[in-house]
Amino acid sequence: MRVLVRLLSTVLGLAVAVAGALLALEVGWHWWQPARGPLLLPWPQWRTELSTLDWTSTPVRITAGIVALAGLVLALLAFGAGDRAVRMTEPADEVTVSTSPRALARMVGLAVRAQDNVRGASVTASARRVRVRATSRLEDEQQLRPRLLETVAAVLDDLPLVRRPKVTVVVDSPKDRR
Amino acid sequence: MSSSATARRAQGRSYGTERTLTVLVGIVALLAGAAALAVGMGWLGRFRAQRAVLDPLAVDWLRDHALYARIGAIVLGVLLLAFGLWWFFRSLRPERHPDLRLDQTPGAELTVTSNALSGAVRTDAEQLDGVNRARVRSVGTVAEPALRITLWLGEGTEVRRVWQDLESSVLTRAREALGVDTLPTAVRIELDTAGSARVR
Repeated sequence: MRVLVRLLSTVLGLAVAVAGALLALEVGWHWWQPARGPLLLPWPQWRTELSTLDWTSTPVRITAGIVALAGLVLALLAFGAGDRAVRMTEPADEVTVSTSPRALARMVGLAVRAQDNVRGASVTASARRVRVRATSRLEDEQQLRPRLLETVAAVLDDLPLVRRPKVTVVVDSPKDRR
Repeated sequence: MSSSATARRAQGRSYGTERTLTVLVGIVALLAGAAALAVGMGWLGRFRAQRAVLDPLAVDWLRDHALYARIGAIVLGVLLLAFGLWWFFRSLRPERHPDLRLDQTPGAELTVTSNALSGAVRTDAEQLDGVNRARVRSVGTVAEPALRITLWLGEGTEVRRVWQDLESSVLTRAREALGVDTLPTAVRIELDTAGSARVR
């Protein structure tokens, strides 16, 4: 995500620079040599075309839709590329410690899978929430869920986290479907 | 600037400006597209929607004020060029890894290169029990250098113990060896993927 935003940022910067250069060049050239044609861009042609299109025409609507959609995607991408680090308490004044959501999820996942009667588990984690989805054939949700909640709580207790994430555990068991 | 703020900034490569500018461009494009659609829908007047995109009224106005329009367009173009180039090179600039200047007395300068510093701390950190790999980088500026340490722990390592050992042994030793009071540090803890438990 971060790499993508950095790449987009580079491309956008270049696009702004090129657009500015072309604008200044074309206007200056037309001012200096009004009789000669445009320098690089066929802008008189654009002008005639744009003056025949009204706002309800399909090309204008399609272009507007694409621009709006691209803008939305761009804004969401860049907005979502924030720092997701899970912060830990600082062992000393000038030392900060953090871990990645993925590492936290794997620590929880290892502990959950090590429990008896757990066939598999998928864990997603962020600084605020840890979600565990475990599958079991031998125990139903009522039996297994409290134990898993305890397991996850023990893992989180062992970590010096700044804020304790909320834990949700879901057990998927064929015994509950009967 | 306090050393804890420096340490916080060392956590990751800063790219706030790039991100903000990208968000802004996205919002501007979204608003422009939505506005054009709104005009086309006739929400800003039914006759407005029927007029040409390049409105003769606007063209005539520009023709009446040709001198100012031209000067304005050229100035705008040059400003956009300068801003775009600044943005472009800012996005491309590599992260700096500053050397640590311990003594700046003329004739007796003492500099620890960023490679020597990170190599020494890395070797030390990898001695810790449970740490499989470590990566150390000097980041920040020459005036405010900081360390960024990434540790890959083996499975089943007690994170809290590593967390304590790192400060009490590795970082303290580094500070003592360098003879500095503070060495802002950002530590990132990862779980090493080497092992069989990843796919089960």
